[in-house]
Amino acid sequence: MSRIIVVTSGKGGVGKTTVTSNLGAALARSGCTVALVDADFGLRNLDLLLGLEERVVYTALDVLAGECRLAQALVKDKRLKGLVLLPAAQNRSKESVQPEQMKKIVDALAKGYDYIIVDCPAGIEMGFRNAIAAAKEALIVTTPEVAAVRDADRVIGLLEAEGIDNINLIVNRLKPGMVQDNKMMSVEDVLELLGVSLIGVVPDDERVIVATNKGEPLVLYEDSSLPAIAFTNIARRLQGEKVPFLDFMAAHDNLLTRIRRMFGG
Amino acid sequence: MTSESTFSIDITDDSLSPPLVARYSQVLLKSEGEKLLLILPTEQEMKLNLIPWSEVWQELKHHLQGKEQSWQAGSSVSLIARDQLLDARQLHKIAETLSEVELGLEWVYTSRRQTAVAAAAAGYSVEQQSSHPQSLVGVAEETKSLVLEEPLYLQNTIRSGVEVRHRGTIIVLGDVNPGGAAIAAGDIFVWGRLRGIAHAGAQGNRQCRIMALQMEPKQLRIADMVARAPKFLPDHVEPEVAYVTSEGIRLAKAMDFAKTHSYSKEVEGWKDSF
Repeated sequence: MSRIIVVTSGKGGVGKTTVTSNLGAALARSGCTVALVDADFGLRNLDLLLGLEERVVYTALDVLAGECRLAQALVKDKRLKGLVLLPAAQNRSKESVQPEQMKKIVDALAKGYDYIIVDCPAGIEMGFRNAIAAAKEALIVTTPEVAAVRDADRVIGLLEAEGIDNINLIVNRLKPGMVQDNKMMSVEDVLELLGVSLIGVVPDDERVIVATNKGEPLVLYEDSSLPAIAFTNIARRLQGEKVPFLDFMAAHDNLLTRIRRMFGG
Repeated sequence: MTSESTFSIDITDDSLSPPLVARYSQVLLKSEGEKLLLILPTEQEMKLNLIPWSEVWQELKHHLQGKEQSWQAGSSVSLIARDQLLDARQLHKIAETLSEVELGLEWVYTSRRQTAVAAAAAGYSVEQQSSHPQSLVGVAEETKSLVLEEPLYLQNTIRSGVEVRHRGTIIVLGDVNPGGAAIAAGDIFVWGRLRGIAHAGAQGNRQCRIMALQMEPKQLRIADMVARAPKFLPDHVEPEVAYVTSEGIRLAKAMDFAKTHSYSKEVEGWKDSF
């Protein structure tokens, strides 16, 4: 049974596309076949983050228009066997696709791949409707900020109304130091509000930006960084493995905070 | 049609404007004897309040998820479609949604010929009624009256962007998240954290109360009064109740409220009897 997962957030700029590319790469590296679908028609980015921009020939719209076969539009990743990308059209808007069409494409992909990961555009309009049309489960990406969490809450409500109940949360760009100083929402605060299960926490790291600009998913780097480990762990948890959560707070502990925590402070 | 409403920016007072108080849940689900009635808003009601179908849809799902206990599995439902134009696909979707909670769509009452034809073609019993929707099973009159509906029992969290309106008391077995709102003609009970907006007694009844296990609202409204919550939370969280006094909305421990407070008609508010 292949799994169709939509990566969504409501708010823009919280890291949906970064999460999609890294999860796709991590899953493919562990031997799964993965199709990444860019549902952000008109503002496509996923091909950039994967470094596949110059190899895009056809897009999902060409497939829908009957100008090429689905297999022709899929861009294969050279570094990872089993990872393909279905690019979105850049010259059209989100209204040019219907949810039923999107569902048709994704369902067709599901016949050939273990994981279909759909990168959802920001917002809750047509693009969102398209992206979730075929999804059976969802990964919600949020940053520990009030606005991002509020939008995530709205999106979870919409997903639940559509009958997508398998919802997992990724808290992205956590700054443990700031949480320690009570300047940032903690993962616990976010979880308490959203009430969905946590599948991973990714710490804020400049290397994510560097990797993004180079078009190489961070998880493929030789020297493993904390965010890369976090992404790999999320991929393992997706596959049903029990992986303990990284303790980012430990690095910021000193004797005083440790004693405070011991006494439940 | 009605003329476009104008907007003005002069803020004269803090009291709530009537339209906010008057708008109610668009979808009604009520039992009448053995049968369940699912009542849709009229086209005019939807147009006047600028309600999109998607909202009606979400409300229907809320009603079905929340009220699960109050019917027998396998009950038959009569759809009071009034003057709504429904095609075969929409009817099918409604039937499908009902069947998810083990209810069967059986009868369709409508005043539109096209809807009647579509329903008949889909195999439902149809009754086409005169175009005057008021005569429908006496439902229209009832919705206009001030009698409260039976309590709405919700078993999910009211998330951001969701607004639950009910012409009666609302009981939420979950949280009301920031950005979410519960608006009731009666009382509001939140068996969880209240972090959004709650409006009790929305038809003007100051006797109504808002109760929550953890009171951290953005705003509390009772009848025509509005209050913001204190900026700082108490260290010790306990169930609290919000009520109207002569000085505005106040909070008290929920535990003793019934014993220590009584409603006074003269001051139109609750009084501490000790």
